[in-house]
Amino acid sequence: MTKSVLVVEDEPNIILSLEFLVKEAGYTVKVARDGEEALRAVAEDRPDVILLDVMIPKRDGYDVCQTIRANPAWKDIRIIMLTARGRAAEREKGMALGADDYITKPFSTRELTSRLKQILG
Amino acid sequence: MTPRVLISLTFAGLIVALAALAGWFAWSIGASEAPQQALRETALVYSIGAALAAVVLLGAAWAMLDRGLAAPLTMLARDIETAARVDTEHPVALAGSDRLTELTTAVAAMMHELADARRRAADTVADASRRAESEKGQLETVLRDLHEGVIVCNLNHQILLYNRRALELLHMTGEMGLGRSLFTVMNRQPFLHAVEILSDRLGGGHAAEPGDEPMPDATQPFMATTSDGRTTFEGRMRLVLDADREATGYVITFEDNSRRLAALGRRDHLLNEATEGLRQRVSSLAAAAETLEAFPAMAAGKRQAFEKVVFDETRHLSRRLDALAAEYRELVTGSWPTTDVYSANLLNGVVRRMRDDRGIAVVMTGLPCWLHGDSYTLVELLDHLIARVREAAGARELDIEAVPGDNCVYLDIIWKGPVIPAGELDAWLGATLTGAWGALTARDVLDHHKTELWSQPHRDGYARLRLPLPSAVGASSKGDRRRLPSRPEFYDFDLLRSQMYSGALGRRPLKSLSFVIFDTETTGLKPSEGDEIIALAGVRVINSRILTGESFSHLIDPGRDIPKKSRRFHGITDEMVAGKPSIREVLPAFKRFVGDSVLVAHNAAFDMKFLKLKEAAAGVAFDNPVLDTLLLSAYLHDHRTDHTLDAIAERFGVEVRARHTALGDSLVTAAVFLRMIEVLEARGIATLDQALAAAGSMTEIRARQAEF
Repeated sequence: MTKSVLVVEDEPNIILSLEFLVKEAGYTVKVARDGEEALRAVAEDRPDVILLDVMIPKRDGYDVCQTIRANPAWKDIRIIMLTARGRAAEREKGMALGADDYITKPFSTRELTSRLKQILG
Repeated sequence: MTPRVLISLTFAGLIVALAALAGWFAWSIGASEAPQQALRETALVYSIGAALAAVVLLGAAWAMLDRGLAAPLTMLARDIETAARVDTEHPVALAGSDRLTELTTAVAAMMHELADARRRAADTVADASRRAESEKGQLETVLRDLHEGVIVCNLNHQILLYNRRALELLHMTGEMGLGRSLFTVMNRQPFLHAVEILSDRLGGGHAAEPGDEPMPDATQPFMATTSDGRTTFEGRMRLVLDADREATGYVITFEDNSRRLAALGRRDHLLNEATEGLRQRVSSLAAAAETLEAFPAMAAGKRQAFEKVVFDETRHLSRRLDALAAEYRELVTGSWPTTDVYSANLLNGVVRRMRDDRGIAVVMTGLPCWLHGDSYTLVELLDHLIARVREAAGARELDIEAVPGDNCVYLDIIWKGPVIPAGELDAWLGATLTGAWGALTARDVLDHHKTELWSQPHRDGYARLRLPLPSAVGASSKGDRRRLPSRPEFYDFDLLRSQMYSGALGRRPLKSLSFVIFDTETTGLKPSEGDEIIALAGVRVINSRILTGESFSHLIDPGRDIPKKSRRFHGITDEMVAGKPSIREVLPAFKRFVGDSVLVAHNAAFDMKFLKLKEAAAGVAFDNPVLDTLLLSAYLHDHRTDHTLDAIAERFGVEVRARHTALGDSLVTAAVFLRMIEVLEARGIATLDQALAAAGSMTEIRARQAEF
């Protein structure tokens, strides 16, 4: 079965690239543009992996990550956080709240694809 | 001519005169026409007899006078002279003489006065010197600790005085020293100029009366460079005036502003790079992208070339951005006031504040360590967070702990209750901190420390709030825990047997018990041969938490000297224990601290022997069960030979940053013990009895035959 990816990002230019990339890599893709939309999307149609940006409106990436992890039914969803700031503490916070991996923007698309492949197998 | 000589001469003269008179009398009688021979002879005999008697009387008188008066007077004179010349404070003993008691007493009184006066004078001088010394010492301290360099020169620009900072700032340049010219280390122009300006200003006010206020513009700022041109200084100069308001020299204070200037320079450069520096790249990118858009029908080869430009320029821009961001992060660190902070001080402050201002109980646990930050704003932040956590999670008691991490130190707030959701935390962070200067928000404090904050589960039913902070920068973070030669292991079978009794406690799981981990410092290794305890410290462990904030730590006056050889082990001197309570007072207090807890120590037999020997004198008895971390370590790692506290700490992954004090060692032992409990459980040792048995089984193997 094809793996599904939920892209949670509010910057349209990045959404464009991400959507395209994910499709090319052979996965199905859905997009959510803020924290609340993201949680609704997960509830409706559980993805295999979420590309989760930290800086999104309504509920931020950390909040979404923590909420997803709080639900034992969703424990198999892999979460890769995308962030625009390079602080070590932020990476740690993401991992502590349950993210599986963490990428700093600007990222190379090749890197992203390889991480996706790694995490989804 | 001394009185004695005078008297002697007088009497001698008298005697001679008398003899002459007698002689003349005798001769005149002999020569005269006296009637009878017999009468003449009688007269002669009488006269000679009288003369002799007179001589004897005179001689007696002379002797009396000499011994009673003249000799004592001479001796008195000499004594007074000695006392006057010799600068002694003690009255010189006077050869007494009954005839001269009045005089002697008077002189003695005067000598006493003289001695007193001398003593008073000496005291006054000593006092004044002491005051001068102390003022000089204070001045030296102020100068030494001044952050700026201070140099005093005479008008010939020779250095009269300088402080340590001045030496630090200048010593690289050249030979700086008293009497040397300032210009061997600094270029002369700015100083000559400043002196001139100040002298002019002074000259203008020369008509002022002494006692008037000093001139308002009495200092002159300057900028100078070292003679090798490497460093620039910014400073101020002031003339040194004597009582007549004449300049005798000048004082300069200065600081190296090259680093500050460099930082400013870097900031400017950074801003410039981030804007103008990227302009070129962005133009190339824009041009290529626009061309691609405008000419969709471009030939494939050409198209590829333009696409390559777009690709290259974006990659270049990304890299540049990363570099700029990294540089920005570095710069921001430098400008906010931060220092190395000892976690125990910081957290104690928080504990006290929460207790006194908010009535909230916070317990400090864990081993203290050094971190880097602004303690003031951190206390404000923690105060705010703890109050919110209490409200949100309904936590009755909270623990706060500093946990060393990978190149950072985590401040953890732990409570029994739910995790705080990230969204709620974010809202807390937006609040302004009362008491913090400016309208500082909690998020601002996080930003200044370049860190984040989050809440995660801790262990069954507990949650924590974690705040990573940078580790300390200075050498103090490494701690001064040198590897000391270990204390030889000490065993006492009788003691061991008595400690094996555990009663009802024995069946309880180790994790549920309360422990007191303790350590002693002693004058030596022979408890039964006169060595005494000089320090006793203990720390309580309840529910796998080290209650750092409630430790017991006392120096003890051993009532004997502390041998110098033992000092390198404990660093305690005789002065440090002088006046401290004795073991008779401290041991009962320790007993109260311990209560019914299980005692734990490293090579416990050693410490317990000392305690046992003092039980009678102190009127307390320690019948608590005792666990020995050395024996437990030997049990767990019997293939190893090194079971010193430092080695065990390393083996169990306990970061040792505490010093070799009784309290420091207690804390380390406590941390090691907690780890040991986990490992023991994995090996099937979960209750106190099982642990005692395990430890006991090692004694046979490890004991040495030592007669202690």
